[in-house]
Amino acid sequence: MNAERFRGLAEAWGGDLDRWPAAERDQARAFLAVSPDAAQALAEARGLDAALDAWRSPEASAALRERIIASAPAPRRRSPWVWASPWLRGAGLAAACAAGVMAGAALSGRAAPDPAGEALIAVATVFQGAPSPGVGLEPEES
Amino acid sequence: MAGGDADPDGELVERVGRGDPAAVRALIARKLPRMVALAVRMLGDGAEAEDVAQEVFLRAWRQAPKWRPGAARFDTWMHRVAMNLCYDRLRRRREQPTAEPPEQVDPGAPPDRGLMALDVGRRVEAAVRALPDRQREAIVLCHYQELGNIEAADVLGISVEALESLLARGRRTLRSRLGDLR
Repeated sequence: MNAERFRGLAEAWGGDLDRWPAAERDQARAFLAVSPDAAQALAEARGLDAALDAWRSPEASAALRERIIASAPAPRRRSPWVWASPWLRGAGLAAACAAGVMAGAALSGRAAPDPAGEALIAVATVFQGAPSPGVGLEPEES
Repeated sequence: MAGGDADPDGELVERVGRGDPAAVRALIARKLPRMVALAVRMLGDGAEAEDVAQEVFLRAWRQAPKWRPGAARFDTWMHRVAMNLCYDRLRRRREQPTAEPPEQVDPGAPPDRGLMALDVGRRVEAAVRALPDRQREAIVLCHYQELGNIEAADVLGISVEALESLLARGRRTLRSRLGDLR
């Protein structure tokens, strides 16, 4: 850091060292401690800062604030399942598995072969396998 | 991360992305004054500035759920969005010269020690508005919005050296125009 660089920084960034580029702040503070010229440059820059601060911007209106709040996305609804602890989720999964097994067993019981039905199917098969009238009774051509 | 530090808004933005109503209000409280101030100083029109600020937040709501910290700060991203919206409006103004321009103050107004603070503010506003565009933008971002050199250069799409040059030239001009106020 030297006087020229210090003055250049003050002219660009103003009189508040906290607004100066972070990489040069410490060197600038050290230089300021030993250089009256640096203090003078900083004082001049502060004068312009104060003048610039006289231009104040209007505050955001309450109506704008409310419009923006209304435009925000609604909170995402999370199902109780997501909120549940891992232990509860594990228990739920186990319960679902058990219910699935029980339902499967019940359904397989209903689908068990009906003895009466099996007998009917057997009779039908016999008749389908028998030759139809006339078939095989034709005289063979000699 | 541009700026060297963790994003001070990172955790808040993450909560906004989850739709946390308290985070939404906190982000508005933290950023709305900054967005309005930026747009007012860029456009010189309060109603247009409010439209810009509202649009910035609409985009922020869409961006928050997919925001991944690391590339840039969320504040810098919001500034870039706001600046681009302002550029669009300024471009439309130039293309539609019949539109009524916002009221401007004569930058050459004679100094008057008895001016009230409001009048001083209007003189400063006029002096800043009279700067070349890029110098004005650099001063708005660095002095008024208090962005760091890396963030402001990022928003303007220039190097930090170019930014420093714009600032120095702009402030030199302002010092000569507002010398009686200091």
